[in-house]
Parts: sequence; structure tokens; C-alpha cells
Amino acid sequence: MNLAHLHLLLNHVPTVGFAVGLCLFLVALIQKDKKVQRVSLGILFAVAVLCIPAYLSGVAASEIMQDRPGISTELMAAHQDAALSAFALMELTGGLAWLALWQFRRSAQAARPVLVAIVFLSVGSFALMAQAANLGGGIRHPEIVSLGEAAAAAPVINTAWLKAASLRSFVNDTDWVWPACEAIHFIGLGLAFGVVLLLNLRMLGLMKAVAFADLHRTLPWGMLGFGVNLVTGMLFFTGVPEQYTNNAPFQWKIVCLVLLGANLIYFTSLGDPWHVDAGGDAPRSAKIMAASTILLWLGVVYFGRMLPYLGGSY
Amino acid sequence: MWLEGSGPSTWLRESQSLMAFPLVLALHTVGLGLVVGCTSVVSLRILGGASSIPLKPLEKFFSIMWIGFAVNAVSGVMLFAKEATTVGISVVFWVKMTLIALAMWAVTRIKTKVFDDPLIDTHPIPGNVRALALASILLWAAAITAGRLLAYVGPTQPEAGIIFGSQ
Repeated sequence: MNLAHLHLLLNHVPTVGFAVGLCLFLVALIQKDKKVQRVSLGILFAVAVLCIPAYLSGVAASEIMQDRPGISTELMAAHQDAALSAFALMELTGGLAWLALWQFRRSAQAARPVLVAIVFLSVGSFALMAQAANLGGGIRHPEIVSLGEAAAAAPVINTAWLKAASLRSFVNDTDWVWPACEAIHFIGLGLAFGVVLLLNLRMLGLMKAVAFADLHRTLPWGMLGFGVNLVTGMLFFTGVPEQYTNNAPFQWKIVCLVLLGANLIYFTSLGDPWHVDAGGDAPRSAKIMAASTILLWLGVVYFGRMLPYLGGSY
Repeated sequence: MWLEGSGPSTWLRESQSLMAFPLVLALHTVGLGLVVGCTSVVSLRILGGASSIPLKPLEKFFSIMWIGFAVNAVSGVMLFAKEATTVGISVVFWVKMTLIALAMWAVTRIKTKVFDDPLIDTHPIPGNVRALALASILLWAAAITAGRLLAYVGPTQPEAGIIFGSQ
């Protein structure tokens, strides 16, 4: 199995997943069912997480495909731009879905503006992603493209507001962008790592005097650090994709990050860690999750730092 | 310079093993996470974030920070020794050292002023301690930036060989 194969496996997740999550979310909002609202927010977040490997493997797939006969590079570029635009919106939606889950845990309800924003953003990301999927389907499946379109040989609607080529030249043609993003990426690492240590070392028994619910308050700081690193990281990837697509430590880093998405939902939303009071001992499940979170973060840092040494990047 | 020519420095510079230079560099990054992570969370709390967290128990975070600092002092000396003659005359390097010294000064001041006071959670945090907390965040961010720039400016280009694909 190569990354093109992985892309075929993952590329239905963002569209189908967001359709399911969004419908469930709308029904739950109308019926004012908070439990189902939380479940659907969890689905939207999980799909946004899986959208990361879906996008990254797509870029790898385009490198594998580009020299094959009968493949339109223009169509692939249009597919990539549409996917990048949809991806950016989907990550924003996933971030807000996470924020709503965090609020639900803290006060049994989420702020109305956040919920409304999630509805609009997920409709928008679904529409953009459907367009990206449609363009992507045309790359290898001429049978679904109508004759008129094939003759015009151009995508019908251009929904891309982000273009991979312009981001690429932004990152590469200005001297300060890469070093500045690296510095910001390391600062974001420090912030996210601090929150990770605070919550998970508490679960493992350090600072037992503090109730988990109080530490839970700091999760958005960690998410801020992660968000900054997702943006800077995607700038590196879009700037020089070929040094990551065939890079084993990069793949391991993404595996660690996707798994960490599950740990984040556990600590954000579930009851086991939430009910650990001041002075209380965490249940075994929370300790296992805490230990795995720290190990996976060490994996993210290690594989990230190894990109130039085990892989071929800088 | 004797330091750069010494056995351990030569090994670190010339060994192709992943257990050599890359591992030391990875440890330096993990140490960064421990030091900057712990200090920034404590500083944000002092600045008024997540004010429901009692301060006193956070004192234990300082031992984690010191572990990270020890890791980075050792790995930092190793990385320095590897290229002492070039890094040693780089302005960016000495700026980084100064920033770290100032940041550690701010952190230890916070430790004495806040955490050595057993009644800290019963009265508000003094304004000058908040200034120290803000200074520690900014100084660490600047130190990280200087450290990153060390790979780009100054007399050394430690990662240049990799950038242009010689590896």
C-alpha cells in the first residue's frame, strides 16, 4: 500500500463524515438534545482530524500520479486548490467543534454564537469539500465527467480561495518566512507541551492538590499552541511538499497527531478525568490515557526533529 | 580550539549514527518543551489565566522545569562543543545565552516571590510579579527565536548541508 492508496481510503471521510456530523448536529439542535449535540460535535472534530492525513496523502498521491499518461495536471492542481481551501475551513470548524465540547463539559452548554458559527462553517466546508471531491473524482474517472465538460477540459466552478501555488511561492520566495515560521512553530510547541504536562502529570499523580476541572480551564491555551503549529506546519508542507511526502518520520508524526486527537477528546469531554477532585487519585483509564498522551507528544517532537535526519527534509 | 577538537565533539560531529547528533538535537528540543512549557503555564496563571487553579501545588512544576533545564544544559554544551569555534563567535549565540540567563533570572525570582510564600493563595499576586511573568514569556519566546535563527544567520550554517541535499 502506498500513500495514493491511503488517499483513496481516506478521501471519502471528510465529505461523508461531515455530512453525517452536520445532519446529526442540526437534528440535535432542533430537538435541543444536548447529548446528541455533543456526539455530533465529536464527529465533526474527529472528521477534521482525519482530514489532515486525507489532505497530506492527496499531495503524495498527486506526486505519484503526475507523470502517468492520461492524467491532467491542471485538473489535479484544481483539485488540490479546492481541497486546500476546504481543508482550511474544515480545520477551523473542527477547532470550533472542540471549543463547543470544552464549553459543554464546563457549563453543560455551549455559547450560542459558537454553535451558530459551527452550523455555517460546516455547511461551507462541506460544500467546498464536495466540490474538491468532485474535481478529484474526475482525475481517474472520466466516465463521471460529462462530454461537454471534458471538451471544455476545465473545472466548472472555481471555489478555491487558497491556492497551493501562491502559498508555495509565499513560503519560498521571501527569505524570512521559513525561519519565522520555524521560530513560531517552536514557541507553539512550548505552549502546547506545557498544557500537556500540566494535565497529564496531574493525572499521573503530580500536583494532586489540584482538581482536574481547574486544569481543564487551560486546554484552550494548548489548542492555541496546536492551532499555531498546524498553520505554520501546513506552510512548511505546502512550501516544499516533496520533502515530506516521502519522509517516514513525517508519516509517524502524523500518526501520533491523529491518535492524540482521541486523547484530546477524552480529556476535554469525558467524565472519568473530569470528576478527579482536589487530592483525588485518577482512575486507571485516565492514567493510561495520560501516559499515552505524554508518550505520543514526545513522539511528535522526536519525529518532527528527525525530519532532516531520518527523512530528507530541512 | 581544543574543545571542538576533543574526542566527544568529533564523535558528535562526524558520527553518522542517529544516536549521535540527531538524538542530542531531539533531546534539546524535548528539554525546550519541558522548560518553556512549565514556565509559560505558570506565568500565564500568574498573569490571571485559569485563576481557579491554586498556585501552591504548581510549585512541583519547577522540578520538571529544572529537569528540562539540566537536559538542555548538557545537550546544549554538547552541541556547542561540536562547533565551538564558529558558534562561539556568533552574535546570535551570545544573544541567545543572554536571553536564557535573563529568562532564568525572571523564573527564579517568580519562584522566590510566589512559591516560597506559604500563604500565596490567600492574597492577590503583586504587580511586579506579574511583570516578571510577562517578561519570562517574552524572554523565552525571544530565546527560542534566537536559537532557531542560529541555523540561518551568523558564521555557521549547521543545517546548510542538509538544506542543499548533501545528505
